[in-house]
Amino acid sequence: MLSHFPIPVSSPIGMRSFLAELTLARVATALGLAVALSLVLNPIFITPYPVVLGRLLLVASVLLLAFTAARAWQIPGVPRWLAQVLAVALAAPLATLLAYVPTVGGDLAQLFQHEGRMLGVVSITATVLLVAPLLVLGSLYRERDAQVRSQALAFELERSTLERQALDAQLKLLQAQIEPHFLFNTLANVQQLVESGSVRAAPVLSSLIAYLRAAMPKLHAERPTLGNELAMVRAYLELMQMRMPDRLQFRIDTAGVPPDLVFPALGLLTLVENAVRHGIDPSETGGSIEVSARCDAASGEVRITVADSGVGMRETAPGGTGLTNLRTRLAATFGSGARLELHETQPSGVSAEIVFVPLPVQRA
Amino acid sequence: MSPSQAPTALIADDEPLLRERLRSHLLRLWPELQIVGEARNGREAVEMFDLHAPHVVFLDVHMPGVNGIDAARSIARRAEVVFVTAYEQYAVQAFEQGALDYLVKPFEEERLDDTVQRLKQRLAATSGSAAAAPDAGSAGLESGPAAALDSLLADLSSELRRRTAAGAEPSGFLQWIKASVGNHVRLIPVDQVAYLRSDEKYTLVVWEGGEALIRKTIRELADELDPQRFAQVHRSVIVNLHQVLQVIRGLNETAEVQLKGRKELLPVSRSFVHVFRQM
Repeated sequence: MLSHFPIPVSSPIGMRSFLAELTLARVATALGLAVALSLVLNPIFITPYPVVLGRLLLVASVLLLAFTAARAWQIPGVPRWLAQVLAVALAAPLATLLAYVPTVGGDLAQLFQHEGRMLGVVSITATVLLVAPLLVLGSLYRERDAQVRSQALAFELERSTLERQALDAQLKLLQAQIEPHFLFNTLANVQQLVESGSVRAAPVLSSLIAYLRAAMPKLHAERPTLGNELAMVRAYLELMQMRMPDRLQFRIDTAGVPPDLVFPALGLLTLVENAVRHGIDPSETGGSIEVSARCDAASGEVRITVADSGVGMRETAPGGTGLTNLRTRLAATFGSGARLELHETQPSGVSAEIVFVPLPVQRA
Repeated sequence: MSPSQAPTALIADDEPLLRERLRSHLLRLWPELQIVGEARNGREAVEMFDLHAPHVVFLDVHMPGVNGIDAARSIARRAEVVFVTAYEQYAVQAFEQGALDYLVKPFEEERLDDTVQRLKQRLAATSGSAAAAPDAGSAGLESGPAAALDSLLADLSSELRRRTAAGAEPSGFLQWIKASVGNHVRLIPVDQVAYLRSDEKYTLVVWEGGEALIRKTIRELADELDPQRFAQVHRSVIVNLHQVLQVIRGLNETAEVQLKGRKELLPVSRSFVHVFRQM
């Protein structure tokens, strides 16, 4: 009944919230209780029943207003439940006195002299004081219970939203990294090696496993290193070379650079995949891909180059977006000093170069 | 195909292991079939077809240079064509619509066997006629279905070109600016370009990482760049709209435009001020 009270997130203050708190359910509860109490108390009063009922309805209304007001105009430093209990306890005797004012024609002195009426005041006050704070506490308890439940619901909702977002990101990464076309073509090649009993089957499968393991999204991965990235690039190039042995040669020369340098995951793979896709694959005769890394002792800069001797980039070829992403990630890792530049090479092909000042290596 | 003649086939795939796999399975399932050639790309496939006129051609869809679809268009309906593809959903749908035979890599032997049975039936059906190349003579009389097939392959060909990264961006707009810097030719992605300004014979391209002169004229560039991203704002200036910081009104309904992270003001002439009105 009281459980649908609005949950005050940042407790609103003032007349509007006072009216908002004065719900139909609360009014009905207060008046209903007044009727019930009047029926209980009627036998001990000599006063006619309608008068008893009227007095109790008045008391109930005043108490409800006090209860609601204590909610709406919160006193700083006073817990709201205490303010509400006190408001009701203070309002109870005053409201009872008020209920007797019409009977004595406004003369309160006359009320105090009349023993029967005084007894009425005391008994109503006592009953109300007994019932009302319990009622208030009950209402507060139910409200808190509702709040806890709605909070639990909100948490649950947030958790499931986060889970879904993480899953979305994971799926997007998976789609972005392992193209089905690449995977199925590679598997078809592996299938032939296995069926023909080739000794190359095992090393090729190892490359595929290494590539897939590196390409799988890792949500709690350790910091990605250049060494990991190079291992993945090597696995990818080995797979591509198995698929197009007559069209692709490659060389990886990174001896001068420590493998434990921090490097954005999939950064180098993006460049190597571009070289295959735009440079080598469109060409009937193919070409070579060279991955090299050097460390400039004087400036401390690391320079990583991915150069292909393929067909070169057409001015309308897509791919700028992937590189823009990589540029953003390089800046996020190494600061705005990091560069990614593409050149045409002679006689044909594209060379992509990343230049950055490495982060200090953290050794555990 | 005359009954005495052994059936012949051509295999085209750029990946040697996949040619090998298809050949070994065909040998097992269809021992009479003679494989007369293995092509590494579409161009070789068409050349070998012209040389050997095989009854059946297995064409990988994705091949360098001339792809499988274009090779099939050259071969026209002079042979039974089976397309081989890896996860090209759009292609598989098109093949199904056009009742074309296809294999999805990696294929299972049972699936290849279905294809072999179908091919045998079709070759048997045409073996009554003396013509070795079934449709060559009657091509002119072909009615609706054949024409529909041609247009299906034409659509598929342009779709494939669109999807292949080596092809042009579907929009056809410029994605890269090639500029000589020192003895290098730099490839500058257009998103990085801030503005282009004509400088006598050349055009100055200014991007995040520097500036360089290129030979293309402002007029050519205005035609080739994506109008959603670049706008000509003056006879001699094109700006990247994504990098506009502010437009300062000047006299005579002209204006000047300033780009993000740059000090220089670029002129906006009266006839181009409308570019910024709608922004």
